[in-house]
Amino acid sequence: MLLLWTIVLLSGRAWKLSDDIAIKTEDLTKAYRSFWGRKKVLALNKLNIAIRKGEIFGLLGPNGSGKTTTLKLLLGLIFPTEGRAYVLGEATDDVAIKSRIGFMPEESCFYRFLNADETLDFYGQLFRIPGKERKLRTNRLLTRVGLEFARKRPLKQYSKGMLRRIGIAQALINDPDLIILDEPTSGLDPIGTRETKDLILGLKAQGKTVLLCSHLLSDVQDICDRVAIIDKGELQISGTIGELLANRDIVELLIRNLSKETLMEVERFIQEKQGEVVSIKNSSGTLEDLFLKIVQERRETSWDRSD
Amino acid sequence: MQQILVIAKQTFKEAVRNKILFILITLGVVTICCSVFMPVVGDGREKIKIVESMCFRSITFFGTLAAILLSASSIPTDIDNKVICTITAKPVQRTNIIFGKIIGFVYIIGVLLLIMGSVSYTLIRYTALKQGTQGSSRGLLAREQFDPVNLQITGDSAKKIGNVSWIEGGGKGASVWKFKGLSSKDKNDDLAIEANFLIEGKKRSTGRIPVKIKIINPYSARILTESMEVSRNKPLLLRLNGKSLDGSEELTIVVSPENSGDFLGIRADSLRIFWGEKGFGCNYLKGLTIISTQFLLMVVIAVLGSTFLSLPVNILFCLFVFFCGNITDFMRDLSTVINVIETSEHEHGISGVMQKSNVYLMYLNHIIKKPILLLSYILPDFRYFSVGKYFIDGINIPCKRIFMGFGYAVLYALVCLPISFLVFKRKEIA
Ligand SMILES: Nc1ncnc2c1ncn2[C@@H]1O[C@H](COP(=O)(O)OP(=O)(O)O)[C@@H](O)[C@H]1O
Ligand SMILES: [Mg+2]
Repeated sequence: MLLLWTIVLLSGRAWKLSDDIAIKTEDLTKAYRSFWGRKKVLALNKLNIAIRKGEIFGLLGPNGSGKTTTLKLLLGLIFPTEGRAYVLGEATDDVAIKSRIGFMPEESCFYRFLNADETLDFYGQLFRIPGKERKLRTNRLLTRVGLEFARKRPLKQYSKGMLRRIGIAQALINDPDLIILDEPTSGLDPIGTRETKDLILGLKAQGKTVLLCSHLLSDVQDICDRVAIIDKGELQISGTIGELLANRDIVELLIRNLSKETLMEVERFIQEKQGEVVSIKNSSGTLEDLFLKIVQERRETSWDRSD
Repeated sequence: MQQILVIAKQTFKEAVRNKILFILITLGVVTICCSVFMPVVGDGREKIKIVESMCFRSITFFGTLAAILLSASSIPTDIDNKVICTITAKPVQRTNIIFGKIIGFVYIIGVLLLIMGSVSYTLIRYTALKQGTQGSSRGLLAREQFDPVNLQITGDSAKKIGNVSWIEGGGKGASVWKFKGLSSKDKNDDLAIEANFLIEGKKRSTGRIPVKIKIINPYSARILTESMEVSRNKPLLLRLNGKSLDGSEELTIVVSPENSGDFLGIRADSLRIFWGEKGFGCNYLKGLTIISTQFLLMVVIAVLGSTFLSLPVNILFCLFVFFCGNITDFMRDLSTVINVIETSEHEHGISGVMQKSNVYLMYLNHIIKKPILLLSYILPDFRYFSVGKYFIDGINIPCKRIFMGFGYAVLYALVCLPISFLVFKRKEIA
């Protein structure tokens, strides 16, 4: 009996992911080598994470912590020095499984002389999507990312934000089950960020799995179900946002229409019950909220924002 | 397959929108057209020769340049731009990327050949027509060439130096050339016998020696004897009525110098027979085919380079390969030259200083000679693909040449492509 178990464990293929796991890494390690094979950079050290199907998972970490490296390992663009990873139940060197994955790289890098239509068409063809369907999806995606107005312009005339949008569009051309996004909001203005976040939430609503990495914490906090924080290639902590941020001895109250007298009464009541009031202030909101509010108002008056 | 074609189309589009292809083709066409205005001394045939040679040279030059610049830069540029990241993240086998790129380059070169080839052809025809009206009879030649099937050197005094055999006159030696399979559509045409001999005479100053030529028809046993003079750097020409073959397809030609003390230097291809004429258009197409095979070979090498070299290095690498591939002869000679220096030092042997330089020469021998020799065998030999001389001499290109060139390129590709696949498959696209 024991022998049988060992055999099952040893043969990599026989090992089956439980059905609700989309991505799993096992001691995933990557050391970059210089041209001569010397001087290693340990970009990733024994990473173990598991991402469930249907969740939005955020990989967090400062610049150079190994986020992009992780994603590239998962996509088989680079090869692990040690350890293994499974994506949608297959090892990362399986090419066919990529037809169910959408990837947006860190920098938006496309053929600069193609326009948005041609770009999406090109990637669609790589997925062997039939012509009519390709056209349909191209139209739908360009509307979805708000690039319809610039579909015939070559990408070299695009701004950085527009390139990000086309990046997201090409990642969705194959209607993937798993979407991997590298810094989806970097280089976007607050509106773009908001729209991207909404789009990602929309994907989740469609039942898709999203893995995104970012160094912008606010992005992640809003939308991710679970996060992992890595630094210098090592996993520091992982769990749901709630778990990680739970601070059990402080409670925040948000109250509207509170008169000064009532406030004082509440304060007195809390002190009677041996509680300590740390601070009382008017809710200020974030700069982001303000920005969004102002711009949104202007948008409503001047409809066309495109050019 | 669909993926390969998509990538090929993409590669082609890129080259077109880059305008590099456009610029190269324009420059090529301008160069070709310039050849018409080249001043020439001589008759109409000379003029045509110039135009023909210019056309083929510029097609070769610009085609090679396009093959190198575009195919050496495409993959490295994609890697630099990181476009390759998005492509490899799709369900595309990496070998398909390389296949797609290669087919894309084939499209590109096809377009270049089509444009430059048709312009050249028109120009050559036009020149021939213009020169034809000025009195010269045949402008565009594509004569059928026959090589000897067998060359025998008789006589004891024959000495072989390099690939040249020297025979002495005065009955001390002779060269016997056997031809087989001589045939032509028009039996009444004249056979032209053309010979390029080296000579070494007693009287050096004259620069020519008398030779005896015997033409034997083994079928009817008819023998024709001619006495002629061979000059140092003019080919010997002899015309023979086609009827004198009497329906036979064989001919034996014996050449020997008249006087003892005169030497005739002979190579295997010194004597050729031309009989009959083929269409120029067909010959032209054959020429283009051989040249395009060379381009394909260059593409394969450039792709191999681009799997592990960065853009500028790869372009240098390709230029280097192309340059060396055209001078493999010289590279081999160079290594013999070094050898000669060394042995002569040995013969004279001697002083301490000399001894020392000898050591250096030995050193030089190992450091330079061996690698160069090795390199000359590893690098592709582009002489397989030189067709210029066929057009200058107005010779029909034998089909054997096409197959040889093609076979050589295929063989080379069969070695290079698997290496490219392997390297690219393991390449980290970071
Ligand atoms: N191609 C490469 N060669 C060598 N080192 C690299 C390469 N790519 C990334 N690195 C190194 O690996 C580490 C992690 O990089 P990366 O994964 O890009 O970080 P992040 O995406 O989190 O900002 C960094 O220290 C970086 O310098
Ligand atoms: Mg990164």
